[in-house]
Amino acid sequence: MKPEEEPHVTKYQTYVLVWVGLVILTGTTFSVAGMELGGWTVLIALAIAGTKSGLVLNYFMHLRSERLLIFKVIIPLVMAVFLVFILLTFSDLAFRGGAR
Amino acid sequence: MALMILRSLKIMDEAREAVFEEAGDYTGAKLAMWLFILSELLLFGGMFILYSGYRYKNPVDFHHASRELEVILGTLNTIILLTSSLSVAASIAAIQKGQRKLSMVLLMATLALGLLFLANKGFEWGAKIEHGIYPNSPTLLARSKGEILFFGLYYVMTGLHGLHVLVGVCVFSVMLILIAKGTLNQRRFVPLENAGLYWHLVDIIWIFLYPLFYLIT
Amino acid sequence: MKSDGATGSIRPRISFYEDHGKYRGILSWILTQDHKRIGLLYLVFVIGFFFSGVILGFFMRLQMLAPGTIMKPQTYNSLFTLHGIIMIFLVVIPAIPTIFGNFFLPIQIGARDVAFPRINLLSWWLFISGGIIVVISVFTGGGPPDTGWTFYAPYSLRTTVNVPLAVFGVFVLGMSSILTGINLVTTTHRLRAPGMTWRRLPLFVWAIYSTSWVQILVTPVIGITLILIIMERFFGVGVFDPAKGGDPILYQHMFWIYSHPATYIMILPAMGIISDVVPVFARKKIFGYMAIAISGVAIAAVGSLVWGHHMFVSGQSDFADILFSLLTFLVAIPSAIKVFNWVATLHKGSIVIEPPLLFCLAFIFLFSIGGLTGLIQGALAPNMHLHDTYWIPGHFHYIIFGGMGFGLFAAFHYWFPKMFGRMYNRKTAMRAWAVMLVGFNIFYFSMLLLGWEGMPRRYYDYLPQFRTLHMTATFGSWILIAGLILMFANLFRGLFKGEKAEDNPWDAATLEWQIPSPPPTENFEKIPVIQHGPHDFKELENNG
Repeated sequence: MKPEEEPHVTKYQTYVLVWVGLVILTGTTFSVAGMELGGWTVLIALAIAGTKSGLVLNYFMHLRSERLLIFKVIIPLVMAVFLVFILLTFSDLAFRGGAR
Repeated sequence: MALMILRSLKIMDEAREAVFEEAGDYTGAKLAMWLFILSELLLFGGMFILYSGYRYKNPVDFHHASRELEVILGTLNTIILLTSSLSVAASIAAIQKGQRKLSMVLLMATLALGLLFLANKGFEWGAKIEHGIYPNSPTLLARSKGEILFFGLYYVMTGLHGLHVLVGVCVFSVMLILIAKGTLNQRRFVPLENAGLYWHLVDIIWIFLYPLFYLIT
Repeated sequence: MKSDGATGSIRPRISFYEDHGKYRGILSWILTQDHKRIGLLYLVFVIGFFFSGVILGFFMRLQMLAPGTIMKPQTYNSLFTLHGIIMIFLVVIPAIPTIFGNFFLPIQIGARDVAFPRINLLSWWLFISGGIIVVISVFTGGGPPDTGWTFYAPYSLRTTVNVPLAVFGVFVLGMSSILTGINLVTTTHRLRAPGMTWRRLPLFVWAIYSTSWVQILVTPVIGITLILIIMERFFGVGVFDPAKGGDPILYQHMFWIYSHPATYIMILPAMGIISDVVPVFARKKIFGYMAIAISGVAIAAVGSLVWGHHMFVSGQSDFADILFSLLTFLVAIPSAIKVFNWVATLHKGSIVIEPPLLFCLAFIFLFSIGGLTGLIQGALAPNMHLHDTYWIPGHFHYIIFGGMGFGLFAAFHYWFPKMFGRMYNRKTAMRAWAVMLVGFNIFYFSMLLLGWEGMPRRYYDYLPQFRTLHMTATFGSWILIAGLILMFANLFRGLFKGEKAEDNPWDAATLEWQIPSPPPTENFEKIPVIQHGPHDFKELENNG
């Protein structure tokens, strides 16, 4: 590969720390599920899952150490696309009214 | 003087062309893998759209159905997959540092964890099927619509996910052989790195499947 | 004395036809990794599928020539289903990116090939496999699908014909599409020659680039939808089946989330061709280069938000109806910007009348009609009356055939000399164009009128009041087919008997015209260093 492409070699220690974080977050989401939080439950579960994914993406998948613009753009892009699809679909599902 | 300048310009051009052409494109290979990952995210994304629609319409049924899943097994599988992501990431770091044996050991651990995940999944499915809960079964059809939908989505989504795990296991087996043969090494490891990216994707999908199926309260 | 100056390996200077690589004969084609050969492989099969689609259409129009019937209703249902599947998935969606994107994108950016030549070959094999699977579905498992190319649930779950195989064929075609998209995006990012900045790219490259992103992002959604149909039919999963709590409208959402952006996969590359060709024959820089480049991206983006306009009367919420209608009007804006810019490019240009330009002009005219009819049906109240009438196929044939089709024909006539090293008969080409234009409008304008009058679509028979318009439409279709035959015959003849073409018969400025016709393997003796944009014609240089 070209000299400027030499990858950033992550320390084993970093990986293990990330893993610990992931396990803790898994435990958290497990405990939260046992609590009575009504409508907030889904959002909290998704927030935790999102955080875990963020850790995997940035550290295990090295997105954090990528320099080029394209790598910084693609995950936000796919999140935006997915969000739009869900929101517009719900503009139908959540407003049906009358006979379902 | 002019001739010397022209000659050196030409040499620089040719050098640039040589570097441009002969340096295999590490970044390009990674970019392509990421684009493939985007497409996989939207493949599963489509099913998450359906899941969210049906859960919105059948919240109580989804809650009841979810309680029939083995939370302990699901949580265990989550930890298994997270650990396998750690081991494959470390495996790649090892090969980058030239630690071939360590890389192979870590890769084998990843493989083993992947197979363990599949075994658990098979066990879970087996238990459900024995109880008569599977798509189109008389037992399931006798239940409420929301529960039928829940289990339909459960089987399809975890099934497709499991298929991806299986593919990952096969790919890693091939990678293991390539590292053993020396085809993949400290200088050339992008196939392993790309396989690792794929595996992390599979992990991320499960990170979302887990709470959405096992932890509905 | 001309100095050679090549260092390292010596590039062959023979054409890519003569340089057959490792294999001989047919293997040197079907196992090739040369993007130009792969482009031609696609060309042959896309044209083949196109003709099958036309023949199916011919029989549809024969059935509709007069009231009464010459075939079983089931047969008619299968005819329009297959016509749709073949035309959409095997012709219109793949054609320009796989034929001309493959052949010319690498050359236009100054590269020797695409980023992943072997994956390119795989894409072609997946395309062929998908096509074969669709063809097999016609003859097996209960017969050809009769659901329409839209495969709506719950009918597609219950009908006893071979839906699973047909749908699986389309799934395989989707995989081909995604891989091509990945390849072309990576190629554009990584293999541009030194000096080829984003702002110097030909607009065709911008168009293919935007299209490729759409291919990558939305094709998986129909992929999963088709898998779910197969799962439903074999395992009774229940996801779209109302009897099990499934929602058929959700099926429509999932289907159109792909299939609407798919129409932009169809049209953006054609618009890219228009943007490349018009400046050459107006001898003038494109008006508003960045506007055209960015409007392509905007069409791709906003066009992914409008799918619900196929579902106004499906039972979706009123709120969704209003939202999608509003978004649909918005997507017309970037398209209109392009039309305006093309016309502004022609204005005060030195127009050279040649077949490629004529097809571009027809595109602008026909696409505009298609677009305007789209606005009418995008409004909720008219849609109530127009949905599922002949207005809709009238509209989309103007856009798809009049737009994408004529864009494709423009590309044929523009790049023919470069690809084959020969020139076709230009007068005959222009006559074929005229015949096609006349037949096209008689045919499809009649459809718009039929729809306006209330004639439903996908019906195998009709009431006597629609007789005249149907007859006119069928006659128009025969004229159109005659024009098509003339056009293809002329091109085919040019292939073997045409005069040898120069390297740059149109005096264009993009890179493909600076290399021999046909191009050598690996395109360039030396990778060029780019110092100007795609519209720096010699006259402009001379005039200072």
